[in-house]
This record gives sequence, C-alpha cells and structure tokens, in this order.
Amino acid sequence: MAAQPKPIPMHQPSYLEGGGILSWLTTIDHKRVAVMYGASALIFMAAGGIEAMAIRVQLWHPDNHALSAATYNAFFTMHGTTMVFLVVMPLLLGFLGNFLIPLQIGARDVAFPRLNALSFWLALVAGILLHLGAIRGGLPDAGWFGYANLTERYFSPGLGVDWWVIGLLVSGTSTVLTGLNFLTTIITMRAPGMTYMRMPMFIWSLMVTSVLILIAFPALTIGLIFLLFDRFFDTHFYVASAGATPILWQHLFWLFGHPEVYIMALPGFGIISEVLPTHARKPLFGYPMMAYSMVLIAFLSYGVWGHHMFATGMGPVADSAFAITSMLIAIPTGVKIFSWIATVWGGSLRMTTALYFALGMLLEFTLGGLSGIMHAAAPIDLQQTDSYFVVAHFHYVLFGGVMFAIMAGLYYWWPKITGRMLGETLGKWQFWLTVIGFNTTFFPMHFLGMWGMPRRTYTYAADMGWTHLNQLETIGAFVLAVAFLLFYINILGSLASRDPASGDPWDGRSLEWSIASPPPAYNFATIPQVRGRDAWWILKYGRAGSRGVAAYMSGQAPQNPQADLPVAPIHMPAPSIFPLVLSLGVGTMGLGLIIDWYRIILIGAAVMILSVIGMGFEYPDFGEQSHDPEHAPSSGGIDLRKIGVWSFIGSECVFFASLISTFIVYKSRSIGGPGAEVLNIPLTSFSTFILLMSSLLMVLALAATQRGDRLWERIWLGGTAAFGLIFLAGQVYEFTSFYREGMGLTTNLFSQSFFVLVGFHGAHVAIGVLWLSVLLAAAMMGKLGKSRALSVELAGLYWHFVDVVWIVIFTLVYLMQAVSGA
Amino acid sequence: MSEAAETHESGIRHPGAATYLIIAAFLIVLTVMEITVFYVHPLRPVLVPVLLVLGAAKFALVAMFYMHLKYDGWLLTAVFGFPLLIAMVIIAALLMLFAYLAHHALPIG
Repeated sequence: MAAQPKPIPMHQPSYLEGGGILSWLTTIDHKRVAVMYGASALIFMAAGGIEAMAIRVQLWHPDNHALSAATYNAFFTMHGTTMVFLVVMPLLLGFLGNFLIPLQIGARDVAFPRLNALSFWLALVAGILLHLGAIRGGLPDAGWFGYANLTERYFSPGLGVDWWVIGLLVSGTSTVLTGLNFLTTIITMRAPGMTYMRMPMFIWSLMVTSVLILIAFPALTIGLIFLLFDRFFDTHFYVASAGATPILWQHLFWLFGHPEVYIMALPGFGIISEVLPTHARKPLFGYPMMAYSMVLIAFLSYGVWGHHMFATGMGPVADSAFAITSMLIAIPTGVKIFSWIATVWGGSLRMTTALYFALGMLLEFTLGGLSGIMHAAAPIDLQQTDSYFVVAHFHYVLFGGVMFAIMAGLYYWWPKITGRMLGETLGKWQFWLTVIGFNTTFFPMHFLGMWGMPRRTYTYAADMGWTHLNQLETIGAFVLAVAFLLFYINILGSLASRDPASGDPWDGRSLEWSIASPPPAYNFATIPQVRGRDAWWILKYGRAGSRGVAAYMSGQAPQNPQADLPVAPIHMPAPSIFPLVLSLGVGTMGLGLIIDWYRIILIGAAVMILSVIGMGFEYPDFGEQSHDPEHAPSSGGIDLRKIGVWSFIGSECVFFASLISTFIVYKSRSIGGPGAEVLNIPLTSFSTFILLMSSLLMVLALAATQRGDRLWERIWLGGTAAFGLIFLAGQVYEFTSFYREGMGLTTNLFSQSFFVLVGFHGAHVAIGVLWLSVLLAAAMMGKLGKSRALSVELAGLYWHFVDVVWIVIFTLVYLMQAVSGA
Repeated sequence: MSEAAETHESGIRHPGAATYLIIAAFLIVLTVMEITVFYVHPLRPVLVPVLLVLGAAKFALVAMFYMHLKYDGWLLTAVFGFPLLIAMVIIAALLMLFAYLAHHALPIG
C-alpha cells in the first residue's frame, strides 16, 4: 500500500548550512566529513592527473628528456600512490561511502562519528606527508608497489621513500579505522526491517569491502614497518646479503595489494548496482547472486596474490594454485556482469550521464577482466610481466572499471550531496571524450606490451618501433585531460548554480532519496521502517511497482513521507576538535621521524596522547549501554562498540600472522650470531602463567562489575594490571639479558624478527595495562559499576586477545625453538 | 564472590566465577603439558603436532569462555573467525612458499 502523501516542508536546514570554518574543522557529521574527503580527493586527483600527463609528454617521442629520469620515476610513483590511496579509495569510501551508508540504511550517522572524523584528518595528513618530499628530500620514486630492496637506504638514499613509508602507514591506519567504522555501522545501525538481504547493493559492497580492508591492510602495515626498521634502525628485513629475501616484501605487499584491487572495485560494483536499476526502472536482477558473488570475490581475493609474482619462481604447485584461484574469480565477476545486463534488458532506460558512465563501465571493465584472465595463466603472464600490457590491463580495471563507476556515482548522487544538479550536456561531452581518450590512451598499450615495451621505462630508442603508438597514447591522454577539465567545470558550475535539485530527481529506489537534497543534519526526521528491498520504492509505490510508475509518469507521485520535521528534538553528537588535533600530532611525529628531529617527535607524541585523553574525557557516557533502541531489530542486540572491538581484533589476527610468519621464515635464514637457543624457557613459562592468570582475573573483574560488586571489581582489575606489569617486567629482563649477551636488534635475522614480533606483543600488553589503569582509576572514583560493565568487557576482550596471541607466540617461537623454519 | 552465571545487559548469559576457575585450571594443565613435552626428549618426534594441538586448545578455551564467543552468538564468532582463518592460511601459505624458495633458490653469484 502506498504511503499517504504528506507536504514537504520548504525550509529544513541542510547539513551544509550554518557555522564557519571552525564548524567544519570540528565536524563529526558523516556528511560533512564525506564532503571534506571528496574535496581533498578531487584536488589530489588533479595532482595525479598532472603527473600522468607529464609521463605521457615524456614518452611522446624517442630519447626524450622533457623530464629528468629521477623526476619521471617520482611522477609514476606518485601517480600510482596518489590515485590508489588519495583519490580512488577516498572517493569511494570516504566520500560516497561516508555520505551514503547512514542514508541508505536509515541511520543518523556512522557508528563512531569521531573516529570517522579522525579517519579523514589522518587521510589528509597522509596525503600531505606523501607530497612533502617535493619541499624537502625528494618525492618517493620507487614505484607505488615500493619493491624491496630498491627501497632500502642503500639504493634510495634520499628522504623520498621515508615520506612514502610514513605516509602510507598513516593512510593505512585511516583506512582500517574507516573499515572498522563502516562494518560496525552496517551491522548494527540498519533501520528496523532492513535485513541483510534487503540492504542496497552499494551497502553490501561496502560491508564486504570493510572486511577486506580489515584483513588486507595489516599485511601492508607489517611490510612497511619492516621497511621502516630497515631504513631508520638498520635492520635487514629485505637485505639479501644478511640472509633475508626481498621476496618477503612482495608477498606482504600483494597479500594486501590484490584484495586492494577489490577494495577499489567492489564499491564500484555497488555503485553500478544502484545506478542501473534506478535508470532502468527495474529491480536489480539476481539480487541474492549479486550479494553472494561479492562475498565470493572477496574470499577468493585472498588467495590470488601470487599471480603478481609468477616471475619470482614460486614453483609449479604454487603457480598452479594461484592460477586456478585467479581464474575462479572470473566466475562471480561474470555473474555480476550478466546480472547488470539483465537488469537493463527490457528496462525503460533514462539516458542520463550517470547511466552513460555505468554502461561504459560494463564494456571497459569487461575488457580489463578479459586481459586479467590472461594474467591468471602463468606461462602467458611471464611474457607480459613488467610490460605495458600490464599497464593496459590494470588501467582497464581501475579506470575503465572503477573510475567510470565513480563518475556514474558522482553524477547520480551529486544532487543528493549538494542539492544541485550537474550539467547533463557537459556530462555527456565528458563521457564521450572520456571513452575516446581512455581507449586511445590505454588500448594501444596492449600492443606495445606484447612488442616488448617495459613499463616504467624512462624513454626508448627510435628503432624500437614504439613511437607512433606512444604518440597516439599521448594524444589520447590529452583528450582525457580535456574530459576531466569539463568535469571540474561542471562541478564548479553546479555549485554556482541556483537551481535546486529535488529530493528524488531520478525516481530512486533506496532510502537516501526519501529525504531532502541536501539532507538535514539529522538525516531522517523519523527512522524509516523497511518493508522490503528497494525500501523507498516500496514506500512510494507499494509493492505493485508498475502502477506506481504509472502514477509517477502522470505526475501524481506521492509525496515524501519521511521529509516532515522531527516531532521531538534529535540529539546529534557534539562536534570535536580532538580528531583534527590528534591527526596533527601523528603528522608531527611522522615529520620529526623523517627529518630526524627528536624534539618534533616528542611534541607530536605529546599532542597525540593529550588528544586521546581529551577524547576520553569529552565523552561522559563512556561505557554506558548506548545502543540506539530505534535500530535494535537489525543489530541482534549487540552493542556497536563490541562489534568495533571484535573487528579490530580480527584485523590484528592478520597483523600478528604476518609477524609470526616472518619470524618462522627468518629464524632459519639467519646468518651468524645467536639463534633460538638463547630463548629462556623457564622465564617465559613463568610469564605465560602470569598472563594466563591475568586473563582469569580479567573475567573475574567483569563478573564482579556485572553484578555490581565494587570491591572485587577493583581488586580484580588491579590484579590484572599488576600481572600485566609483571609480564612486561619479565620481557624487559629478557630483552636486556639478550643485549648483555650480544644479541641486539640488528645482530641477525633471528634477532630482528624476534624483537619486532615479541616487542609488538609487549607494546600491546603495555597499551592493555594503560587501559586497565584508566578503568581502575574510574572504579576507584566510583564511576564504573554495573551500568558501565561494557567498558570492562571491551577492555577484557582486548586483554584476552593479547593473551591468545601470547599462547601462539609461546608455542611457535619459544617451545618450537628447535624446529627449523621455512 | 558469586559463582552464579551472570546475565549481561543485552540478555546474553555469561558464565560465572566457577566456570572461569575451571577454565583457568585447564589452561594451567595444558601449559604444564606443553612445557613437559618440550623437556622430554623421547617426545621430540611428535613435538610439533602435540604443541600445536595443546596451543590450539588453550587458544580455543580463552576465546570461547573468557572472550565469551561460546555465549555471544554467531555474529561475533564470524567477525573473529573469518580473519583468524585467513591469518592461519597466510601463515601456512607463506611457510610453504618460502620452504620451496629455500630449497630451489638459485645460488647467488
């Protein structure tokens, strides 16, 4: 039954209204955070585009020296790094994801708004750090993949790689926080009635992407930490002469890198799955299969990283395994392509720019997928590795697939975000120029690659026969640049225009179209009740869609039932300056580390710590059960902070798995010096008992808090922290005794992988002790108690995880010391 | 100190102190067994599988009872279990890949 028409109020204040610059600097509103992500990404996109144009100018003719070789290296490195980390992911996740997740699931914000703001500011700091090399020490120049051992200090003595390492570590932290936030939001904050199988496909894509982020990024983080240790503390994680293998970097990087392709592609798939049904006025074809395909793609994406490394000689078994999994991934991807085609088949198509880009994506991405299948075959891949064929392939996937999808999404949701329409005429000019420029630039690269032109080559000789196609590609790149120029003109023109967009300009199907454009700060006056897929469509027209469309076409479409003003005041989270200040502290620390000025590091660390404390004290309800009863039916009654902590713990599993793998691999490759025989089993057995018993005390503390027993709550919390300190003291004793016996951090592969693994675990214990100390202080002041048992439970989860990690370390590192590594 | 099971505010029933103490006893026994296996030389041939089983048992006990996965429902188990599965696959895959590399690497120079 169609909803009863209600008048749309004319003057709902939008999220864009009110406040000056300070209100933007302190905002934690997901929509404003999204806009800041979008603005910064569009600026970085211009920078990355200029770098691409410079690359094409350099390759215009043989033996060209328009750029120096060093500048050329820096430009292709920064082009790749910028486009992946500062443009595509921020546009998909930071901009569209941030803006749309709460709107599409019927929520008022994300699960952790301040964390969301922190993610943005960290991302911006990372982008700035990555570019600061232009001012001091040189831009990064070792490729966006940063292959070891080119990145070692010996081969890259400048500061460029330092900026790259620190920038990506900060960027990765930001992305993991975003993934954790999105996953928690989608699990816990869906509107009543929105089951998993009723979620918009864009939300499915972001949920799966969030899982990918949480599991993929820790491998990159570990790879970067090893590189940081090599460059700053003289370890040898990637130095072959010390027995190490640079191949380790490739494994860690591509363990992240191939899921990263899907971290970029899946949200693009989600966008296409929203644009096509709306513009075809048909439901998405094969919704369940589309959702399952996405999950399958994500699962398989962890088993295909080796296809980037066929040329390293992994052996026939590994090559075959990676080839099979890589080919398998074509199946769920093909399911999606056919489902999209079936969605538009027979539909009443509205040919807007958004649909143009969506249809363009189907064609261009399919071409990229076809060349991808070629790479899955190891013998063929060996011919194509490091050639321009690979450049053609990944641009068809990432530009033809992802950037086309981003453009479709931007044209589709721009009215919702800004309240203004983008120009359709300019948009279609942009589309056709993009298609022509893109294919002219990248299709000939297939041929150049097969003819032997290596990627990343600075220049080429005239007699290679590559000149004409390179010139054609450069012309194509300029056409593409004109297309992007039209896009920037279009968005500036749109922002300057005074023609408002309606709340539902495309006759949309999902909930974001049920509210005003741009939305009010609180999103929904009342949280919607979801009665099926295409929630807004059903609210508008009922389940009899065709009659509803007829009503729409005759101009009798019902009014917006959700757009009325709230009947009661809506409490929105207060703004906070701390995410910005904390990010500045992190950036200052990174800056100090790179320019080797320790006072700067200390200042950054102080700012960071004070910000964390400030964030703790500005949230007076910490630990209360804060579950929003309006969302309870879709979240299973689990507090969102608990989901958040578990998501973080899940991510940490991969973090420690990467460290543990490295230790086991390197302990038998160690050259000279002490090895596993120095490990002190009696001492660590005692430490193990201590840590296990601390876990017992922790659960007893939780039980005491849950039953309101304040005395035992304090005793058990204090005991847990004390046992943690005893464990740390044992670790300090162990480390110092190793140093006295001549085993330092840089002694050999065994020592460095041991100290980094056990040291990181010790750091986790130290953080746990600090957390427990804060809880103990709260308990002593009478601020814990039964109503805040959740805060003890969250600390307990973290503490037990640290315990189970130690169980693994004690077994694999200490008790198996006599077992040779890989 | 109550030994009764505690009911969480979300309605989920967590075990009481008695269960926690029993689990702690199991953890101690398993750890003693691990250390014993390490020091008893005749057990060296089965050191790796025995230690892996004992370690996995301790891991599971802490995760299920102290972290309450046994009581908190499938969702949290999935949020933890899937990354844990991937982590184990990563360790196994890297060890196999580097074992191959170690045995088939071309000599430097």
